[in-house]
Amino acid sequence: MLTQQMQKQKQLLLSWAAIQFSLLLLLQQAFAGWVIAIFALLLLYRLLSVFKAKAGISLKLVNLLAGIIAITFFLQLRQAGVLHFMLQILLLAATARLLALQHLYEARQLVWVHYFLIACCFILHQDMLIALFILLVFAVNLYSHYRLFSPSVSRLNWLQTGRGILIILPLWLAIFLLFPRLPPFWQIPNVNIASTGLNDTLDPGSIEQLVQDDSLAFRVEFDGALPPRQQLYWRARLYEDFDGRRWQVNALRQNASRQRAADTAADSSLSYRIIAEASQQTGLFALATPVTSSSNVFISPSGLLSSNKPVSQRLSYQVSSSLTPVVLVSEQEQQLNLRVPPGNPQTQQFAYQLKQQYPQSHELVQALAEHFSRQPFYYSLTPPRLGSNSIDAFLFDSHTGFCSHYASASAVILRHAGIAARVVGGYQGGNWHPQQGYLAVRQREAHAWVEYLHNGVWQPFDPTAAVAPERILDSLDSALPEDQRALLDPGWRQLVLLQNLRQQLMHLDYYWSVWVLGFNDNRQRELWRTLYRYLPAMAYSAAVLFSIIIVVLLYLRLTQSGTDNTPQATKQLHRYLGKALAAKPLSLSVSAFLLQCAKRYPAHNAYLKQLTALYEQALYKEDTEALNQLKQLLKCHKAELGRLRRAIKNT
Amino acid sequence: MPNLTLKQRLYQRYWQLISRYLDKRQPAADKVTLVQKLIFILPTRYGWWFVLLIALLYLLGTNYQNNLILLLCYLLLSVFLVNIGLAYQNISGLTLQCQHAAAGFAGTDTTVTVNLSSDKKHFMLNMNFVQHNETVLLSQPAATASLNLTGTKRGKYPLPRIKITSQYPFGLWRAWSYVALAQPYWVYPAPDADKSAVNVAATDTSQQAKTDAGETLAPYRAGDSVRHIVWKRLARDPANPVVRQQHFSAQAEPSWVVVPALSGDALERALRYACQQLLQLEQSGSSYGLKTPALTLPQAKGPQHLQRCLQELALC
Repeated sequence: MLTQQMQKQKQLLLSWAAIQFSLLLLLQQAFAGWVIAIFALLLLYRLLSVFKAKAGISLKLVNLLAGIIAITFFLQLRQAGVLHFMLQILLLAATARLLALQHLYEARQLVWVHYFLIACCFILHQDMLIALFILLVFAVNLYSHYRLFSPSVSRLNWLQTGRGILIILPLWLAIFLLFPRLPPFWQIPNVNIASTGLNDTLDPGSIEQLVQDDSLAFRVEFDGALPPRQQLYWRARLYEDFDGRRWQVNALRQNASRQRAADTAADSSLSYRIIAEASQQTGLFALATPVTSSSNVFISPSGLLSSNKPVSQRLSYQVSSSLTPVVLVSEQEQQLNLRVPPGNPQTQQFAYQLKQQYPQSHELVQALAEHFSRQPFYYSLTPPRLGSNSIDAFLFDSHTGFCSHYASASAVILRHAGIAARVVGGYQGGNWHPQQGYLAVRQREAHAWVEYLHNGVWQPFDPTAAVAPERILDSLDSALPEDQRALLDPGWRQLVLLQNLRQQLMHLDYYWSVWVLGFNDNRQRELWRTLYRYLPAMAYSAAVLFSIIIVVLLYLRLTQSGTDNTPQATKQLHRYLGKALAAKPLSLSVSAFLLQCAKRYPAHNAYLKQLTALYEQALYKEDTEALNQLKQLLKCHKAELGRLRRAIKNT
Repeated sequence: MPNLTLKQRLYQRYWQLISRYLDKRQPAADKVTLVQKLIFILPTRYGWWFVLLIALLYLLGTNYQNNLILLLCYLLLSVFLVNIGLAYQNISGLTLQCQHAAAGFAGTDTTVTVNLSSDKKHFMLNMNFVQHNETVLLSQPAATASLNLTGTKRGKYPLPRIKITSQYPFGLWRAWSYVALAQPYWVYPAPDADKSAVNVAATDTSQQAKTDAGETLAPYRAGDSVRHIVWKRLARDPANPVVRQQHFSAQAEPSWVVVPALSGDALERALRYACQQLLQLEQSGSSYGLKTPALTLPQAKGPQHLQRCLQELALC
């Protein structure tokens, strides 16, 4: 008994240590390195003591230790943020409890805190696979909870567990689908994790880095057909400040992002839904000029979308865009995009030449595109490093660059030529999955292009299209030479099987994000409406089903009571005489009725008397021989019985 | 009831109310099967903590608009709800029966054996008599459970209600039932070799004036029957009441255990001594009888006879 107890305790301690290790792993984004180290040390110590069968550390010491660690956490509060601080303190509480655990009943609080921490993991992770892993950790915790309250030797009863799960599953889903969903109650502290995707600054190398990242940026479902690839320019950032080397988002834009643009009368020709991955940024994506959007995102006057807080979880929003260029907002915006930094004299010279040759801005842009396609310009992931006059070096020396180089150079040329121009950062194209009906846009589709002012609208111009049209029409892979493509695809990614698997997982993940993560109050309302519409039908079918069940049950009941109470002999008579016996008055016994019949129908007199005698023998003497004879008699004279029945019926 | 704190008094009052209700709902029976109307289910303290957890997760999930946290919250909620059924399942269908009346001496533990039968398996059942602290834990299905009772006063008592509790499987809900079994239990006087109560008569005979044949006078002691007081002498000397005592000759009838007609402390002492005598006689193997003021049990021997005699002592 005692050893069983010990065994159970050891198992439970190990499972809790495992849970805390997985929690540490899952929450590592939220913890600084030294915090992780402290937790790992504490847990390792506990594991060691379990294996060496030592008791836990004394409560006093653990409290002291936990107090010191908690104070250090508190001192780091400003760096870590409130949410991370809470997670750290909770995990610290759990670990300390585990270290000082002497009796199993003290573990209840531990299990409780574990539940909470496991739920907190979902703040940081919503990927399907990681979510499954978290659910697994939850299951382990639930099992340890069960073990706390069950006898030490008992095994899990699979039958009972299965039955429990069968009840829990529909209940769970029903609550999830039907329980009212409320808007957030108050502003909550957010996770501070490094953001992903495009930054507020565009370095010469930043996009090259981004395209090596194969992770998903967002997914799009179109309400209509998929627009042609050349139109899939997902605008995300406007870079308007240039310091000669890097482009930056103007401070004005960051402030203005909260404004909601007045809905213009422009027709919205394209409607689509975007499911954006967590990027920890407020900036979102849209095509051309967004006109209307769902209420969780804002449209700024310059046609950029943003959410009111950094996207820390998958966010789904509906947009409709008009496929016309963005309109100039103000004079100030024009002035902003005419400024040129000093330096790059050759570029300046080149711009003046162009300007003189082509006074019209769209002609000039056309000429610039031709310049890029005619001259030996190369599209490359690994451009050489450029000096201080980076644009000059690129245009007249290296001739090799990535989309940001071309966009940056074009914008500078246009500005020198007196045309307001800016660099737009975003994504181009995407991977269309026809069966699932969505476009997957990954970080590798990151792109930069130019917008220049012409007749009061910002015309898009993509110099990359002139250099490497395959990039726009097909994909990045086809635009790059063989050796550079290898940079994008590490060896394992080229395995067909693995790639297939990855693809399938991505599709699953898509449904996951649409149906599980994207389930919101709108969808719930829709569900309610559907339910309401089909309510009468469902009620009728339920009623029909219910009455059928009742009838079947009643029938079973009746036939069963027949077998239970009626003697064999009576049943035989009923079987062969059937309706004839139904004419029997209640006051008469069966044999009396038969004798009466014998008197009334002299033709059957002998037969009926014989029958009655046998019946009485079988019934009252419980004579099996007589019963058999009765059966025989009934069976052999079917014709006579038929006549008798008719005779009784006719009278 | 002196020296009881307010809490204890309230608890007693509460228990009185509850037992009145229970007596109506489940009068004592030979055999009790736990069915729906006998089982109560309420969350445990841990269950309330669990509710708090669910509420916190709902807040967290709603504030972060995070469906996965909400899913987890609802999963915990459905586990919590389904546990009502599981807790009920674990306790329902159990049949309790107490076949033999338990017996014990005053001041010692009396073991009551309760037979349990069921066509299901029941785990982690806690059993105790109400208002007794001692608890028996049956972690596995068992056929019998032995519960201890401590009787302080001799007599025949109905078994107190048995409280049978289960928190299996998750400790979130406590399912319990108060079961009254129609079976008495006996508390015999504690055996005591102190002869003083009976000897009063024997030793004092020489000094006391004989009034009648077979009767002596003795000074009144607390507990002596009022009927035996010699009223004439009391009128003469009110300070020293005297009682008339039957002259018992215990020595003369070695196999007769005699309980004199006393009351109060004196009777108790006499009973304790009689108990001691009975046990000794039974052990020595001789046959013996019992004479009490109310009745006489003829001479016999064997455990059943001893039990009969002890029961008479308990009832005296």
